[in-house]
Amino acid sequence: MNDRVKHIFIWPAFLLVLVITLFPLIYALTVSFQTVRIVPPTPARFVGFDNYADILANARFWGAIATTATIVIISVLAQYAIGLSVALALHHNVPGASLFRVTFLLPMFLAPVCVALIAKMIFHPVLGPANEFFSMFGLENLPFLTDPNFAIAVLIAIETWQWTPFVVLLMLAGLQNLPAEVFEAARVDNISAWRRFRDITFPMLLPLSAAVIFIRLIEGFKIIDTVFILTGGGPGTSTETLTLFAYNEGFKKFNIGMTSALSFLFLIVVIVFGTLYLAGARKLTQRYAQ
Amino acid sequence: MKNLLLSVAVLPLATIVHAECLPDYTGVTLTISTQNGPYVASALQTAAESWEAKTCGEVNLVEFPFGELYPKFLTGMSQQTGDFDVIGFIPAWVPDFAPYLSTMPAEMQQGEAWDDIHPVYRERLMSWGGEIKSATMDGDMHMLNFRSDLFEDEANKTAFMEQYGYDLAAPITWDQYYDIAEFFNESDAVNYGTAEAYARGGQQFWYFFSHAASYTNNPSNPGSMFFDPETMDAQINNEGWLRALEEYKRGLDFGPPGSLNNGSGDVRPLYAGGSVAMNLDWADSGILGATEGSIAGSVRTAMLPGSTQIWNHVTGEWDMFDEPVASPFLAFGGWQLAVPIDSKNQEAAWSYVAELTSPELSGAAIVTANTGVNPYRLSHYDNIENWLSIFTEEEARSYLSAQRASLDAPNVALDLRLPGFFSYTEILEIELSKALAGQVEPQEALNTIAAEWDELTDEFGRDSQLAAYRASMGLPPLN
Amino acid sequence: MRRESFRKAGFLLSMFWLLLCIFPLWWVLVTAFKPPLAVSGGATYLPFWDFQPSLHAFRDAFSGIRGDFWGPISSSIFISIVSTGLAVLLGSMAAYALIRFKFSIHLLAGLLFAVLAIGGFVVMTEMWNIRVPYALLVVLFVALPVSVWANGRNLPGPVLGNDDVTFWFVSQRMFPPIVSAFALFLLYAETGKAGFRLLDTFGGMVLAYTAFGLPFAVWLMRDFFESVPVEVEEAAMVDDIGRMRIFAQIVLPMSLPGLIATSMVVLAFIWNEFLFALLLTSSRWQTLPILLAGQNSSRGDEWWAISVATLISIIPMILVATFLGRMMRSGMLSGSIK
Repeated sequence: MNDRVKHIFIWPAFLLVLVITLFPLIYALTVSFQTVRIVPPTPARFVGFDNYADILANARFWGAIATTATIVIISVLAQYAIGLSVALALHHNVPGASLFRVTFLLPMFLAPVCVALIAKMIFHPVLGPANEFFSMFGLENLPFLTDPNFAIAVLIAIETWQWTPFVVLLMLAGLQNLPAEVFEAARVDNISAWRRFRDITFPMLLPLSAAVIFIRLIEGFKIIDTVFILTGGGPGTSTETLTLFAYNEGFKKFNIGMTSALSFLFLIVVIVFGTLYLAGARKLTQRYAQ
Repeated sequence: MKNLLLSVAVLPLATIVHAECLPDYTGVTLTISTQNGPYVASALQTAAESWEAKTCGEVNLVEFPFGELYPKFLTGMSQQTGDFDVIGFIPAWVPDFAPYLSTMPAEMQQGEAWDDIHPVYRERLMSWGGEIKSATMDGDMHMLNFRSDLFEDEANKTAFMEQYGYDLAAPITWDQYYDIAEFFNESDAVNYGTAEAYARGGQQFWYFFSHAASYTNNPSNPGSMFFDPETMDAQINNEGWLRALEEYKRGLDFGPPGSLNNGSGDVRPLYAGGSVAMNLDWADSGILGATEGSIAGSVRTAMLPGSTQIWNHVTGEWDMFDEPVASPFLAFGGWQLAVPIDSKNQEAAWSYVAELTSPELSGAAIVTANTGVNPYRLSHYDNIENWLSIFTEEEARSYLSAQRASLDAPNVALDLRLPGFFSYTEILEIELSKALAGQVEPQEALNTIAAEWDELTDEFGRDSQLAAYRASMGLPPLN
Repeated sequence: MRRESFRKAGFLLSMFWLLLCIFPLWWVLVTAFKPPLAVSGGATYLPFWDFQPSLHAFRDAFSGIRGDFWGPISSSIFISIVSTGLAVLLGSMAAYALIRFKFSIHLLAGLLFAVLAIGGFVVMTEMWNIRVPYALLVVLFVALPVSVWANGRNLPGPVLGNDDVTFWFVSQRMFPPIVSAFALFLLYAETGKAGFRLLDTFGGMVLAYTAFGLPFAVWLMRDFFESVPVEVEEAAMVDDIGRMRIFAQIVLPMSLPGLIATSMVVLAFIWNEFLFALLLTSSRWQTLPILLAGQNSSRGDEWWAISVATLISIIPMILVATFLGRMMRSGMLSGSIK
């Protein structure tokens, strides 16, 4: 079990991840403590925590966190609700399940850029089908992409559309792995379907649900492609997510030191968020899993 | 024996073929780059084909989204990667790019082709720091485009006179502009009054500048439109700018729904497709209307409206004029071509530039739709024959005279060119879109912009920014 | 009775969701064939009914009038395939090691590495003014062996095992990509200045994407390998066949479905990746997502052109999804889900 050969197996992967993912962070960390601007070219100056302080004092940073959090939390909840429902439906062998299975997978595999482009066409306030749809209810020319609240709603809708399949996939597998005996017992006792769900199915799925939600939350925080295409962060900065904010700082204004600091703060935000969630989820799971 | 004879016979042919490459750049591959087509990129592509045929070189065109041009070019040039041989960019970035650009070869700076370029472009936009760093390939200014079929219709004229008390004609003040927009908006004649760009990232702030020039480009205080030319304090929150912002916002009432999300690329088809009576745009709208639109024959162009009142930042009061003063705004300045210093094919690159900007090729580009190339050579304006291929004679005259008049106008207003342009305009775009969406009051937005601009100026170095600003406005250095 | 109504409700929900999933795809497919009037006049849905389909968008795109299509397409294809292959190969090897062998890493050794690495780097770049890439190389060749040696000694403190190593690999996914992408951009820029060009190169992109795909590969292959019975390998080991050969000639072929599934997943993520490509490519190796983003800014209402470009990116992914869907049906993937 302790062959020397194990090193040959693991070191290439380990080294690659180390060199490409972690080492650059060391460099970026040192840069984050300096001011470096390419435009206009100014020599690097050590400024300690100034970059970090500036960002923390910048309302735009907190706005980006709020925007990102709003989009992520609401869309993940929607993904879970819809995903679980669809998974339940598929699990009970509704007709045509195999067709559904393939089509449901599709959105997940499309590039977010593509999805955003399609959405931009669909949600065009004058020429798009969404406008036609809403016009049927008398709501014409809604400012889908120009009003901050509408724009965020559209972004949430797109995230939900694209990633619910992921939830469906995992929850379905989870459902299929639930022990059959418990359900047999429930059927014998003639418990209603709703109670069966609430008292048996859902609690047993809780660990998986918590994991799925966790993954989606962490992944969701990274959102940039869709926002980049649909609104560019506008109007103003009301749909600017954290990643987009960092990108604009770094590549429009070439404020390298600030961007590095921003990246690390972003990382901290995600870690804090993740830890809080995990702590809460663990409590919830323990309470339910009798 | 036959083979020997054959090859001897073929040899002169071979030399003839090669003699066609003049100058000979066989084996040279140029990488040229600009924004995603068709605008500008198609002109570069056409010139590439012509150049390749002449010199036997090869050209590789790379396109980026407009928002990516600045980062990609600057990254490439500051890293000295030699990635780009020719770049197509906008004059606003010249201050940031200049240290990395090579100077135009002396041979190109003389002769007929050189003198043919309009002085405003030749002397103001192509030079920086006393050197010619780029070549204009396109002349840009904002114009007012309108439709003669609507304006010359007798019924419209009578109704307008009744409602407003003066003749319906191309507006010469902004008040007239809004009267006309209101008149035509949601009327029987046409769907909407006017179209302007408002979207962030859709080049919207140039439209805002066009309004502002009329109220802030004071002939008594040259160069005071954006900053105080003595102290470099931001001027963007003065009363002239406030009035411009309030009026710019007004245009939303007279345009199609969703105007807030319209970029410059959207206002063109609106005019050309006949949905609006007027628009503000670069000269591309006129070309589009005549070639691909449904309003062929009715395309008319006029100088931007002016004002009888201009803000004087020194006295802190409005200066009054008897006649409206036109302050046509050279929005954008016009796409430039340049050759980075780290290019490995500088000679070939400049030869390509010369080809593209030659009177022949540029003359063809200006009458082709979707090239994004607008007139900048004297020959462009004078040669009406060229234009008749797409315009009627009336259209051509109106189109050319408006542009020429704008360039020759005594109070012509130049665009902003400063190091760190992106940083200044990013703030502007953000606050502007907030103000347009009604999230903040106009004065508040302008104050925020002014405050942040002043901060930026201090960060970049007030003295160097002031010197750069004065140079870009054509003012002599202080002291 | 209850069950019937639930099944009906479930069916309706599935149908509704199916339509919702399909509609945007239908829309983009149909729009690629629309002439300009079919767009500017308002939304149209059915070819031959609402409008007359035409191929002009396809012709424009492939003739290169509207810009270079083939360049980004071929860049995407080459980079994706090579990166996927490398990621799955290295990831499988690592996953196999984590299943079959025992690793123990003293936490202190790990901390020692971190301290040496960061401290050494700072000292070298700030005080001795050594160029960044060289500093990192030195750190790698000094701190790593030292920590490994330290690990061999009997250090106090907690010991990390296989699961922790797996977690380390997989947790790379938790990093916001902007953090790594931007840091990598800085590193590549510095390396370029030192003479070895990585920005906008095939090698640079493959390195980045392989590292990007490794967490998936390790995670997924680990589950697939777990379902390979140990007895077969043990039999081979009795015959004194080398571990490498066992891996290459026995284990891999037995987990072929898993390999294929993993490859497809990794391929999908790399093919669709945007941020790294945005930051790390320029004129030569622009990938498809960047081209698509460019369509957005300058096309305005030219939806047909946008749709053609989007379709080109989507169609390979549709094939991937269909393939994976079939595999799912035959139950091959249920193990990995766990």
